[in-house]
Amino acid sequence: MLLLITRTFKESIRSILRNGWLSVSTISILVMSLYIISVFFVFTSTANEMLKEIKNKANISVYFKADAEEGVILAAKTEVEKMNEVKSVEYISKEVALENFKRTNANEPVILESLKEIGGNPLLAALVVRANNPTDYQTIDENITKATFSEEVSRVNYNKNKELINKLNSVIETIQKIGISLGLLFAAISLLITFNAVRITIYTHKQEIEIMRLVGASNMFIRLPFIFEGIIYGIVSSVVSVLLLFISLKFIASYVSLTIPTVSLMNFYLANFGTILGYQILLGSFFGVIGGLMAMRKYLKV
Amino acid sequence: MINEENIQEEKNKIMIKFDNVSKTYKGDFMALEEINLDIAEGEFISVVGQSGSGKSTLLKLIYAEEAATVGEVYFDGNPLSVVRKKNLSAHRREIGTVFQDFKLLPRKTVYENVAYALEVSGAPDEEIAENVPQILDIVGLTTKAKKYPHQLSGGEQQKVAIARALVHTPMIIVADEPTGNLDPIASLEIVRLLIRINELGTTVVLASHDKDIVDKANKRVLVLENGRIIADYPQGKYKIS
Repeated sequence: MLLLITRTFKESIRSILRNGWLSVSTISILVMSLYIISVFFVFTSTANEMLKEIKNKANISVYFKADAEEGVILAAKTEVEKMNEVKSVEYISKEVALENFKRTNANEPVILESLKEIGGNPLLAALVVRANNPTDYQTIDENITKATFSEEVSRVNYNKNKELINKLNSVIETIQKIGISLGLLFAAISLLITFNAVRITIYTHKQEIEIMRLVGASNMFIRLPFIFEGIIYGIVSSVVSVLLLFISLKFIASYVSLTIPTVSLMNFYLANFGTILGYQILLGSFFGVIGGLMAMRKYLKV
Repeated sequence: MINEENIQEEKNKIMIKFDNVSKTYKGDFMALEEINLDIAEGEFISVVGQSGSGKSTLLKLIYAEEAATVGEVYFDGNPLSVVRKKNLSAHRREIGTVFQDFKLLPRKTVYENVAYALEVSGAPDEEIAENVPQILDIVGLTTKAKKYPHQLSGGEQQKVAIARALVHTPMIIVADEPTGNLDPIASLEIVRLLIRINELGTTVVLASHDKDIVDKANKRVLVLENGRIIADYPQGKYKIS
């Protein structure tokens, strides 16, 4: 068995090297497909990450009137917590609000001055409500206006990020659509190109195949070199494509981090290096093997 | 009488049996018709006839390249219709094949061409290193082991093909017009080699339309015409009416 694998593997390496240009063009097309698929994968993944972050930051702040008692607010908190759409509710008392305000404006002496001049605590107690789903904020807002404590509410500060989320959602959707259709297109091209490469190898090895059959080579011995050929194409292409991805991300990352500081394409790539490489190799050898099998089915009569 | 026949059977075990075999190719071309034929172990049989008489088809049925349309071919008692599907590669190792066009690999040396047959059937390296020189010695090509096919004469190339056919120590050698591309002297040498191989115990089936070499063999001759056996001489000369 080991003998079979080493001999046939050597045979396929030899044939790949012998048909240099064919191998180069096959591998280039495979690299291109894998590269495009992975670029879209990285983009949608980072965009999703971004979206998650923005979604987390989104909330509704319900400000209570200055004279609202804490007991009322806490009762309101339990009521809001019971709503289906609500993920979490955080109570921020007047005092905490003041602390926060002072902290965020620590470098603004004018603001702090004016705060002193007003005297006392001008800030309102609030409930910070986070929804399970960004689309639920509308409903939560409506529910709060209808709630029993609505008279105690001074104002509802509703969801500044809604537009951004919607925009991002549609961007992600578009990227995914383009990615999937381009991915499918290139997958089809990859299959055809490995199919063709293996077909040509079968053709150039016609004589060897005939002799192998006549001298009683086992079917595996005749077929394995072509399967190995497909796998080798796949693995080489995926390694090249991962390297290419690294180079291009390094180039793009600096631009992206300038415009959107929270997003790091590079970090994503490095953190998921194993996964990306693994998927690429799997996908690459999948294209290779399926293309090879298709060619063998059609042209290799054993 | 019955006893005698039994003894005869014991002596010459039937290796190949054609049982009412017909072969039709696509387009209703009848290549062989109602062939009944026994070939015994250790026999040397020449199959003669004009081009298109069905010689090659008969041989192809033996090494199971083609399947019989009607009837059954038995090899060593096993029906080839079954062998073809289940055990073709093992069957091919029992049969050495030799052709008019040699079928050597041009980029491999004489030694490598012979070794190739063992490599692709999964023989261990030690066995290859031991067997190949022995076989090359039998066909008299030891000194040419490192040459490439294009550096050899036609006769020598055919000897390489015969060496490759012998390397599995097959039960039978099937030679389809082995001298078709050779001059008379080289042809005689090849036929002498086949006779020697036969004397060492291997069954030989030789298809040829070369009168000289069939006469030289002076063994059993089977005459085919339009896909039918028209004569079967136990020991004779090439005669076509």
